[in-house]
Amino acid sequence: MERFLLKNIDNPESHRLAFYEAEGGYGSLKKALSLKPEEIIGEVKNSGLRGRGGAGFPTGMKWDFASRDPKFPKYLICNADEGEPGTFKDRPILEKNPHLLIEGMIISAYALKAEKGYIYLRGEYPYAKVVLEEAIKEAYEKGYLGDNILGSGFKFDLSVHQGAGAYICGEETALIESIEGKRGQPRIKPPFPVNVGAWGMPTVVNNVETLANIPLIIKIGSEEYKKIGNPECPGPKLYCVSGCVESPGVYELPMGTTLREIIYEHCGGIRGGGELKAVIPGGISTPVLTPDKLDTMMDFVSLPKVGSMLGSGAVMVFDQSVCLVRVCWRAMKFFEHESCGKCTPCREGVSWMRTVLERIESGFGRKGDIELLQDVASNIAGKTFCPLGDGAAGVVLSFIRNFPEEFDYHIEHKKCMVEA
Amino acid sequence: MDEIKEILKKYPDRRGALLPTLYVAQKAYGWLSQEALEEAAKALNLPPATVKGVATFYAMYKHKPMGRHLIQLCTNVACMIMGAERLVDLLKERYGLEPGGTTEDGRFSLVIMECIGACDRAPAMLVDTDFHADLNENNIFEILEKYE
Amino acid sequence: MIKLTIDGKEIELEEQVTVLEAARRAGIKIPTLCYFEGLKPFGGCRLCLVEVEKLPRLQTACTLMAADGMVVKTETEKIKAARRAILEFLLINHPLDCPVCDKAGECELQDLVARYGPDAGRFTEGKRHHPESFDDPIIVRNMERCVLCTRCIRMCEDLQGAYAITVTGRGSHSFVEPFSGGRYNCEYCGNCLTVCPVGAIMSRLHRHSYRPWFVEKEVETVCGYCGVGCSMVMQMREGKIIRTIPRMGLGLNNGLLCVRGRFGYDYLQSEQRLRSPLIRRDGELHEVSWSEALDYVASRLKEIKEKHGPQAIGAIGSGRCTNEDNYMLQRLMRFTIGTNNIDSSARLYYAPALLMLEGILGQGITANLIPGIKNADGVVVLGGDPTQINPILGLQIRAASRDGAKVITLGRAKGLERFAHIMLPGAPSNVDVVLGMIIQELREGVELKGENKWLQEQLSKVKVTEPIEGIPLDETIGALREMKNAVLVLGPEVLQSDNSDRTLLLVAALVYLLDARVFLLSERPNYQGAMDMGVLPDMLPGGRPLEMFKQKAEEALGREVPADRGLNLFEMIDAASEGRLKALYVMGENPVFNMPDKDRITEALKKLEFLVVQDIFLTETALMADVVLPARAWSERTGTYTNLERRIQFIRSGTDSADGMEDWRILEEISARLGEEKRFAILDEVWEEVVHVSPLHSGLGYDDIKDGKAIWPYKGEPLRGVEETYEIQGLDNIRPIKSGQVLQLDRPLYHSGSISRHSKALRSIEDEAFIVISTKKAEGLGLADGDIVKLITDRGSLQARIKIDSTVDEDNIYISNTFTEANFGSLSGYEAGRLGSLSLDKNPVKLEKV
Ligand SMILES: Cc1cc2nc3c(=O)[nH]c(=O)nc-3n(C[C@H](O)[C@H](O)[C@H](O)COP(=O)(O)O)c2cc1C
Ligand code: SF4
Ligand code: FES
Repeated sequence: MERFLLKNIDNPESHRLAFYEAEGGYGSLKKALSLKPEEIIGEVKNSGLRGRGGAGFPTGMKWDFASRDPKFPKYLICNADEGEPGTFKDRPILEKNPHLLIEGMIISAYALKAEKGYIYLRGEYPYAKVVLEEAIKEAYEKGYLGDNILGSGFKFDLSVHQGAGAYICGEETALIESIEGKRGQPRIKPPFPVNVGAWGMPTVVNNVETLANIPLIIKIGSEEYKKIGNPECPGPKLYCVSGCVESPGVYELPMGTTLREIIYEHCGGIRGGGELKAVIPGGISTPVLTPDKLDTMMDFVSLPKVGSMLGSGAVMVFDQSVCLVRVCWRAMKFFEHESCGKCTPCREGVSWMRTVLERIESGFGRKGDIELLQDVASNIAGKTFCPLGDGAAGVVLSFIRNFPEEFDYHIEHKKCMVEA
Repeated sequence: MDEIKEILKKYPDRRGALLPTLYVAQKAYGWLSQEALEEAAKALNLPPATVKGVATFYAMYKHKPMGRHLIQLCTNVACMIMGAERLVDLLKERYGLEPGGTTEDGRFSLVIMECIGACDRAPAMLVDTDFHADLNENNIFEILEKYE
Repeated sequence: MIKLTIDGKEIELEEQVTVLEAARRAGIKIPTLCYFEGLKPFGGCRLCLVEVEKLPRLQTACTLMAADGMVVKTETEKIKAARRAILEFLLINHPLDCPVCDKAGECELQDLVARYGPDAGRFTEGKRHHPESFDDPIIVRNMERCVLCTRCIRMCEDLQGAYAITVTGRGSHSFVEPFSGGRYNCEYCGNCLTVCPVGAIMSRLHRHSYRPWFVEKEVETVCGYCGVGCSMVMQMREGKIIRTIPRMGLGLNNGLLCVRGRFGYDYLQSEQRLRSPLIRRDGELHEVSWSEALDYVASRLKEIKEKHGPQAIGAIGSGRCTNEDNYMLQRLMRFTIGTNNIDSSARLYYAPALLMLEGILGQGITANLIPGIKNADGVVVLGGDPTQINPILGLQIRAASRDGAKVITLGRAKGLERFAHIMLPGAPSNVDVVLGMIIQELREGVELKGENKWLQEQLSKVKVTEPIEGIPLDETIGALREMKNAVLVLGPEVLQSDNSDRTLLLVAALVYLLDARVFLLSERPNYQGAMDMGVLPDMLPGGRPLEMFKQKAEEALGREVPADRGLNLFEMIDAASEGRLKALYVMGENPVFNMPDKDRITEALKKLEFLVVQDIFLTETALMADVVLPARAWSERTGTYTNLERRIQFIRSGTDSADGMEDWRILEEISARLGEEKRFAILDEVWEEVVHVSPLHSGLGYDDIKDGKAIWPYKGEPLRGVEETYEIQGLDNIRPIKSGQVLQLDRPLYHSGSISRHSKALRSIEDEAFIVISTKKAEGLGLADGDIVKLITDRGSLQARIKIDSTVDEDNIYISNTFTEANFGSLSGYEAGRLGSLSLDKNPVKLEKV
């Protein structure tokens, strides 16, 4: 497939405006400015584009809600927090193809009548900050940003807001709190950000990859776009693969490519010819799968059918050398570290699960610990304020469900099956 | 102060400028001491307690003095299975550097990171703002030795 | 109309409310922890989870809006299991130290666990440890018990507006802390104590001494500290107050109190309370019996009256005593002794200001409801910081600001710094320049209502000849013009200057132009009541001018009323020093300490032949007295107070005092000894006479007052549209007075007059007088907060630490009049300004770094 999101990223000049323009960049913006905002929203709706940040919400619908709200000013925020462990798919766009994102944001802002935009960039990407700020400066200089964009009378200002190390700020309402200078704890929904978002104004939060899809939709039209990948949720998708494969990395493939194809065709299979043991399909918050699910299509509709989720499309591959109890424990350590502390089950329950996993992992597991873990996890699931806690519970439940023997072994033999 | 004025332009209210202002304060003071927090609060006319609440929520703001160079090493799942924990042990052996601690000579501080988005080139770390990936037991020290 | 079903009950709602509220209205109680009425919903504890048909997840009732057709269940097995799980989570890190926890018995967590909780926790690892913090004098913080409901934070930020505490850290390492991590250094309203559901934030004053079951009796009363008049409940044990608390839904303060109201009651139990009547013999005060003391007072008064005539006697009433006490004092003076020489410290600013405002704008002009301030769309504040002088009123301004009202301050208003949109500079004596500048602009293009011809005439004369630089006038005028529902809050500072008559006229003009509701800040709980009771040299009870209503009063009482206007407070002091006034009767006031120029007052009082002081402490004034009569304190007696909104409220006795006598009763005893028939055996009888004499209070019974119905204009005749005219000088030539550096009176939040000296709790918060100076001044002298400086006036000098206040004017130096060691009174002189109030303009002061 021809790459669009990652087009030319191997070229060292790919982040420069001149290069981007020479390759046809900002053409979609020019086209978009000749359309009415409603027409653009219509196109995006018709394209079937679903948000790439994890939840898969239809982008056109989100825009529609925001644009119907009579309040002004409106804000457009690009979610570049990319905090989900295993995820590094937005990074090449941010570092190598920033103008694609900026172009996508300008078009989106035009459609939404938003005059101010932020890129909420995770603090852990200092290089991306430099690149983005440079790109924004170039775009201002060329009149793509600022008061009267390309003479259209449309005004849009864009700046980078640097996060400071909090996974929860990827959640859109926590992200908004954070931009407002607050502790990044999620807000009560409803009202949704499309109505009451940043500074109380209608706000659209979209993932980097989502916004980077916009110029493509405008360029080829929604009908053509719909032909890419699974028609139920079309478009190109960035899959970032890590762990025990020969060639880990980011792959731009049509939405709905199977896990098997991704791992064995694009990533060269399991490293060292090893044997696949488990795979997490969408970042650490998504339930783990066993090798028999390899023929599942990696998209928003197919993965739920096998008990997992597409999430951010971060495929984490584990071969037989990896101790899954340890993976599960490490994941829990992550969730404990990142729990914002707002709600009881997540704050207290996740710590508890981590404690129990830690003792199993270090050889002090007790009889009944597995049942205890399952019980605590189900006491968290469905009762937390935001999906972070649910994710943590889901991970524990899926690891135990799919790999009970590893946990049993650990408890019984006080050591790891892998070592043995 | 000029820097903060520039920041303020980007946000509709003073509070919005808090996160970037904390970065400025952290840079100026090396870490966010009470004094640094008070300064940040004053610059934005925000209550100091509020500023502290925000500053302590985010992991990248430091609440104790840091060494000259900050090693931020990822040990999340992808890095873990590629041997990041071994690197943590080596840092301890070589420099006496514990996670969350600083070397006696004040050269390095070590902070264990959750995923830094380099899972395909694990294990990875940031030293100050420089990114280093595909680390192993040898190259990590080659890299670090360049930081005085 | 919204119809929904909760636990099978059909509920109809007129307005949008949460499922929790809808259930509550239907009598269904859903357990909660992070929810607190009046605070923004949080949804964090997850205890209020309910099942809603068609929604896959459990929902939190406290955040979910009730919607038409919703079917909700609140007590299914699934929900119970969820609650049990949540409680088990909460107990993971909870120390379970209920036996030693002061919250035991009123702990929400304890109650919830008893009802829904697990039998035993399954968490076996060590609990998180975080030692209890005793770094603060008032508040103990035990973060092991904290459930992170954030009720305290939301209270502190969203209602109190102090922003003193925060959650630090994240996840399971989150803790509630003040900025310092130790001392709170906050407004000490203690409202966080009210809302903490567990024993995490507790009062040190009640440590190990308070358990709910210790409370033998609860008495509802009204705070005795300031003119707001907050309602509170005294919790009693063995005749002592163990705690005063506010209650949701009770009084105008609705669940809130300020530091003084919450912690300041312990002066009642001070060792230094007066226990016995005292008579001076051979220069020393000796304990005597009540009858001896009373006989003596009566005989001396009689003697002086016979020898020098009634005009040689005067009295000072009190803004801390009840209406009934004040009524009885003026009764004694007017009807028994036969003089109008009566006044109170309301003279220092409150009385003259109120009378002139009423003279221009009509009686009752300040009778506006405090809780209504938050509905304003604009608030103008001048004359001092309302959040210090009348804290609960100050909170209403903060609330208005939060709801979008534009707040403009003029001069000192530190507590509104985060809430004001425009902060105009202004030294107390130069406020009229800024006001003049505003009036000049604001009157343009405004169609005057023509209601008040005189005022309009004056208004058109206003001319500022020398404007002050750096005033954002356009912005201010723009904001003022947009106000449709304005409030103006007027404080004492601008009323204590030579020009305050002019200032007040400009204030009246602004009120008129904005059609604003005006509030006059009152430092004492009953300045208004003292005035309404006739504790004024020229007004009879009911706010009736003497000359006009003399006859009516005489008819009502069947007694003669002395015709001549009496001496006011300043005049009485002058008359005493000139030897014209021979006897002074002081009730509940400490002029030697509470007025400026201690030496002058002391000298004057020394010249008296006879000084009687009724008080609860042996004050500086009492020390000079010939007779000292121990009175009952605030919590030891019943009666009424009239607050600054003119709401009359009932105060009730809770504690016993075997020693003191109610002020009104002492006065009754003395009257009787002066030949009056005994009339008043119980308090109600005093009030009956008040109602009979004062047309303002006519028909108003104690029942109405207790029912909370005594709101202006009561049932009485809303009297006189008297529009008086005043001679105002220099309206057409307003310019700054360059008086140099002047000493001003500070009115700190944590103290109140000289009484709070006796509160250990308040002293533990602030135990010294601070010299308050502007940021600029501090920078000029190279001073930082807490540095010691020397303050010098022509009367002497003192040393104290400084506090820097960015809203203070550069040429004004403040110090409070609370502490014996360093105070305003001993360094300051005074004059009576043109308004008839105190003037502090000629109070030059120097500051030296030490
Ligand atoms: C705990 C949590 C973390 C999240 N982190 C991210 C993130 O790092 N990046 C992102 O784009 N979306 C993240 N999301 C999803 C966002 O809430 C939101 O759905 C997304 O930004 C919407 O953009 P989209 O519609 O373009 O996907 C996260 C959600 C949750 C609950
Ligand atoms: S505001 Fe006034 S009345 Fe209310 S508690 Fe404080 S001092 Fe008492
Ligand atoms: S009361 Fe509803 S979540 Fe706490």
